[in-house]
Amino acid sequence: MSNFEKAGGSFSLELTLDEAHILINLAEQLLELLGEGDFFHHYDTSDPLVQLLAMPSEIVTPEDPVLLRLLPNAYADPEAASDFRRYTEPALRSSKQRNLRIIREELAILVDGDHGGIIENLDGDIWLTALNDLRIALSVRLEINEGSFEKFELMPDSEPEKSVHAVYFWLGWLQGNLLDNL
Amino acid sequence: MMATKFDTRTEGDLSLDHLVDRPWVTIVWDDPVNLMGYVTHVFIKLFGFSKERAHELMMQVHVEGRAVVSSGSREEMERDVQRLHEHGLWATLQRDDKI
Repeated sequence: MSNFEKAGGSFSLELTLDEAHILINLAEQLLELLGEGDFFHHYDTSDPLVQLLAMPSEIVTPEDPVLLRLLPNAYADPEAASDFRRYTEPALRSSKQRNLRIIREELAILVDGDHGGIIENLDGDIWLTALNDLRIALSVRLEINEGSFEKFELMPDSEPEKSVHAVYFWLGWLQGNLLDNL
Repeated sequence: MMATKFDTRTEGDLSLDHLVDRPWVTIVWDDPVNLMGYVTHVFIKLFGFSKERAHELMMQVHVEGRAVVSSGSREEMERDVQRLHEHGLWATLQRDDKI
């Protein structure tokens, strides 16, 4: 069973290889999703033409419900929300990408070594936030609500969505374990 | 007391100052995903609330569906909303009088 442990100012995390694979896979999927529309990420920003084309006016409210939940509107008023998004969304997006890239690098130690084990010197806040974003992303896809856990427990093993629900609730357990060890 | 502050204003002050001073608020909305302990942790981290105050606000979000977590200038509230979004909380800002 995976576990966070506090060691001085940082944390260690014990994972099986399967668990590390699940986390790295989710982190990469979310990075891919967050990368869409991230002009500064995809293009060489030293090119003045690209910089001009990548002006913030290109940033619009995301259509994907996962992105809309992770990069939500700050105002109820659509015009104010859209103005705010133009100037703040790139920073919000990069902050999420940065956290996910960090945990991906740390998880790669286990996945590249092809065996489970303990990764050390983890930043508790980065892991809490990244795990939270992964949970949010899955929750939107799975349409999680207050009754989802009961529904999951009653699902037959043959139900295709059961394993994804299991991952979602495991992530919640993992995040709770880190919170308990803060 | 609150009332004295407004009583001393002239009518001219009210029409102008009220518009300028009217505070903005940051609201956190309930969602079925964020763990209660996580929301409390984020409130303490971002706003420096005591554990008790953070827990109280988290419960208000959970039970009433939303809670005002900060108030101030529009710029300050935009910064708070941005930081809450960075932590995955669902937050919006609006003028105080629209609540």
